[in-house]
Amino acid sequence: MKLRYYIARRVLLLIPTLLGLTLIVFIISHVGGSARLIGAYINIHSSVPVVVQEQQLMARFHLKDPLVVQYFYWLAAFIQGNWGYTQTSIYSGTVLQAINLFFPNTLVLSVLASVLTGIIGIPLGVWSAVRKDSVLDQATRAISFAGYSIPLYWLGLILIITFSTSNVCSCLNILPISGTVTVNLISGVDWYISGISYPTHVLLIDSLIHGRLDIFGDAVLHLILPVVTLTYGTMASVLRVMRSSMQDTLNQDYVRTARAKGLEEKTVINVHVRRNALIPVCTLLGYTIASLLGGVVLVEAVFDYLGIGYWTTQAMLNGDVGGIMGATVIFGLAFIFANLAVDVTYGFLDPRIRH
Amino acid sequence: MDAKQDTPEKGVRTPVSTRLQEYKLTFKILVESPSSAVGLLIVLIYSAIAVIDFTYPSLLGVQDAFSMVPDYSNPVPSAPVWPIHPFGTTFPGVDLYQAVMSAIRVDLWYSLLIVLAGAAIGTVVGVLAAYVGGYLDEALMRFTDIFLSVPYLPFAIAVAFVLGRALDDVSIALAIVWWPLYARYAYGQALSVKENAYIEAAKASGVGTLGIVFQHVIPNVLTPIFVQISLDLGTVVQVFAALTFIGFASANPLLPELGTLISNGFQYAVAAPWVVFFPGLAILIFAIGMNLLGDGLRDALDPRGRT
Repeated sequence: MKLRYYIARRVLLLIPTLLGLTLIVFIISHVGGSARLIGAYINIHSSVPVVVQEQQLMARFHLKDPLVVQYFYWLAAFIQGNWGYTQTSIYSGTVLQAINLFFPNTLVLSVLASVLTGIIGIPLGVWSAVRKDSVLDQATRAISFAGYSIPLYWLGLILIITFSTSNVCSCLNILPISGTVTVNLISGVDWYISGISYPTHVLLIDSLIHGRLDIFGDAVLHLILPVVTLTYGTMASVLRVMRSSMQDTLNQDYVRTARAKGLEEKTVINVHVRRNALIPVCTLLGYTIASLLGGVVLVEAVFDYLGIGYWTTQAMLNGDVGGIMGATVIFGLAFIFANLAVDVTYGFLDPRIRH
Repeated sequence: MDAKQDTPEKGVRTPVSTRLQEYKLTFKILVESPSSAVGLLIVLIYSAIAVIDFTYPSLLGVQDAFSMVPDYSNPVPSAPVWPIHPFGTTFPGVDLYQAVMSAIRVDLWYSLLIVLAGAAIGTVVGVLAAYVGGYLDEALMRFTDIFLSVPYLPFAIAVAFVLGRALDDVSIALAIVWWPLYARYAYGQALSVKENAYIEAAKASGVGTLGIVFQHVIPNVLTPIFVQISLDLGTVVQVFAALTFIGFASANPLLPELGTLISNGFQYAVAAPWVVFFPGLAILIFAIGMNLLGDGLRDALDPRGRT
């Protein structure tokens, strides 16, 4: 199969998955009954009696129809971008607007963590396998093992305790321990309103657009602890799989051949082993993305970092269906498309997959 | 079935004595490796704590195993003092040592339920799909895929949210989120088991589809599933506590539960580090023990690793 047919097939397979996702979200938003669905729309100060408003809303959202019919009405509205309203202590408005405001922050966190995971995890896994049972290997294995077992939010809390004022050493009091930016620095800035920066909603970019290097530096400092926490959580599995996959590949016949014909060890590792060892890591990336997206929720909750994960926990605490639904959609979409990218890369790396 | 034990069935089933020897060998390999022996020890200690806390809490020095004992006259966390408060106290004036001991029981119990429920549902679904094949395979596995289309933590949050936000709801939500992983796993295992000659033999001797699935396929995928359960338990304890940490089960802040304990101590964490340190450490040690044991079990049960 040619690569483009493989990609086309893989994209077509998205349709049932996406429909499945909408089904999940539909069930999540409708299980609580109609009262919960229309609650956000009722205006108790209006001159129209609440009972009449309820009747109108029931009719407007087709809530008296059979569930199957409701699903199609809901799906139509969903595709048209009408995702309902969210009402939490950090934001009230349409779900789409909330996603637009919070997603960029989460994206920054996830992308930085995954880039760091790749930069550190892959070479470390390679070294660890090549120098098997050395001190470096033992240390790497211990680090990776601890990463599996440590609760991510607890690691975050321990970092907060360590870097806060004089708990361990006042010399460590250099990193901010929560939020996205120092309040004093940002107060009175007209492109930053209640935790959200404009126009791109990514503080790192917005501060550069407005030429405020001090705010940029401050935002970078605020990112360090959350990114480190998230990276450590996701790196454990990458390290482990990279190491075992390198070891498997090192035992392959073609590697023995390469050594037998007198190639330098460096060439053997770099040319023959590493690329092949990356294939299982690619498969693993799907799971890594899942743990990354799950980890984001916890890390944002611990560090008061204003992203989708923080919004989710707020929505949960405030009983807000819109927020929970929006977060499920966005996490599901991110996951599905990340897996698509992984599969395409996989097909590209390994021609056997395409058949 | 039992009446025919020594006639044609004999070749199909492994005799009890051989199985016992197999278990003994597995156990021997397990305890000979230092890391899995440590894992086993940790898991045994935690299980002992859970059982003693349930039956004779006073042996552990726990006053009330089912609720924390608050002291509202002195609610602010105070530092560890040996021997009255070995782990210190946490908000609202609760002795942290007693709370952690009872919380270990609660977390272990719920995590075990979640994993077992998930494994049971997943195994049946996966094996049925693999063995029967055809439309049932497509239907069941696509249904499984739908559940796998959302990362597990946000998904569990959403499901627990609509179920009702209590501990029971969190556990049901996690079981709902967890079974697809087992379905996938059992599916893969069952596909290879299905090709064995004994399945052919059972089919030839007239055993029905469900009979084959429950008597021959499922028992033969159970060993790898069991290893997977032991590897998962460490993760599920963490995820369960993570959900209670972000605020599920906050309706009953006096229920001893590790995530709730961390959450209660959250605002005091900087001034009184022990309030989050000890509950988290309890999760960490258990997860390490379970992962060591799981790795050891996997190696011990894999004949290729034996020398």
